[in-house]
Amino acid sequence: MPFLDEIEAAIPGLRAYARALLRDREAADDLVQDTLEAAIARQGQWRGDGSLRGWLCRILLNRFRDGLRRRRPTATVLALVPEPLDLLAGRRGDDRLALAEVHAAMGKLPDDQRAALLLVALEGMSLAEAAAALGCAEGTLASRLGRARATLRQLTGRAPVSHRPGKVGE
Amino acid sequence: MMPERRSITTEEAQALRHGSAEDRARLAALAAEDAGLTDDLADWDRQDAALVTLYSPVAEEPLPDRLLNMVRIARQSPPPRPTPVLWRLAAAVALLSLGFAAGWGGARLVPGAAMPMLAQAAMASYSTYAVEVRHPVEVGAEDEAHLVQWLSKRLGTPIRPPDLASEGFTLIGGRLLPGDASPAALLMYEDDLGRRVALYITRSEGAESELAFAEEPGRQAFWWVEDGLACALAGDLPRETLRRLTISAYHGLTEA
Repeated sequence: MPFLDEIEAAIPGLRAYARALLRDREAADDLVQDTLEAAIARQGQWRGDGSLRGWLCRILLNRFRDGLRRRRPTATVLALVPEPLDLLAGRRGDDRLALAEVHAAMGKLPDDQRAALLLVALEGMSLAEAAAALGCAEGTLASRLGRARATLRQLTGRAPVSHRPGKVGE
Repeated sequence: MMPERRSITTEEAQALRHGSAEDRARLAALAAEDAGLTDDLADWDRQDAALVTLYSPVAEEPLPDRLLNMVRIARQSPPPRPTPVLWRLAAAVALLSLGFAAGWGGARLVPGAAMPMLAQAAMASYSTYAVEVRHPVEVGAEDEAHLVQWLSKRLGTPIRPPDLASEGFTLIGGRLLPGDASPAALLMYEDDLGRRVALYITRSEGAESELAFAEEPGRQAFWWVEDGLACALAGDLPRETLRRLTISAYHGLTEA
């Protein structure tokens, strides 16, 4: 597939990932736009011998981290922005509650853990693909995923009972 | 109460669950013998399903024009001239016009023979170690005398970490890496924003080379070969900032 067609085909997936990562429609689309611009400008660097999706995710995550550095001083203000409810539109009852819980819990994960978990869970990437996109070692990613999953479990009311003294309240 | 899991750690389970088909089969076999692991796997399946249910519908939403336009505009304009490899050496020419030559001693600033391995090694080392919170270096800057002695001995030539304080970067330490003609030294610097750059130095028996610029998504490097040393400064910074740092590093290394 020609480069630009492949880029276009990747946009919906990038939007979903960015929305889940940033939890704000406008900010997520800004990030995707930024990513597309960078990818198209660096078209000559795309060697076509790997996964374009992985390459795009890598660019997106780099831009995401750059953005975090820039906005750090106002992070406390940004945290007050209400979370979008449109993700839960059409959901009812227990289902809606459980999903709302997961969405809220995702918001409490550190950025690097949320980014990692979404690559494997939402994007369906393998550990190797996700590690390449994040630019980290597979071992680092595995432990990041372990922590993310444990926190998510705890925050959604499925925390395992601790059997080991000294681990409580960690 | 949830049964305890004994067979493998959570990390190992993550690696298998998101690994090859073989890995996943091995995980299933382990889970068959381990109620705690079975429980964890079911929970992680629920998590994944919830995340897909929550966020994948975003991909079905109509695309905003501003995103579609990125591709539409690119289709109408001629594609950028493809670079044969990753490297963009044109920066060397730009440096000339920026007055870089004035401070450059006798080095030739003509884009010429590429030495991408050097830039590639420097950028890969930067990406690997700059993100490390706990172990970015093997020997910290507080032990600079030892660091200098060690790296100089292993490279077989005096290595003195240049002072980049004028650009706001201070040495946090260094490490030894495998290299071609000799082992390579990697010196890591950080500024007060937590941004890091890595100076990669190795012996070179090859021809001297002009200053060149290389770029990949999320990382860039300036590199040169002079007086038997191949050096590259890698980071993820605005090019002008990296250029100024390179000038400082070059002076620091050559005006010992």
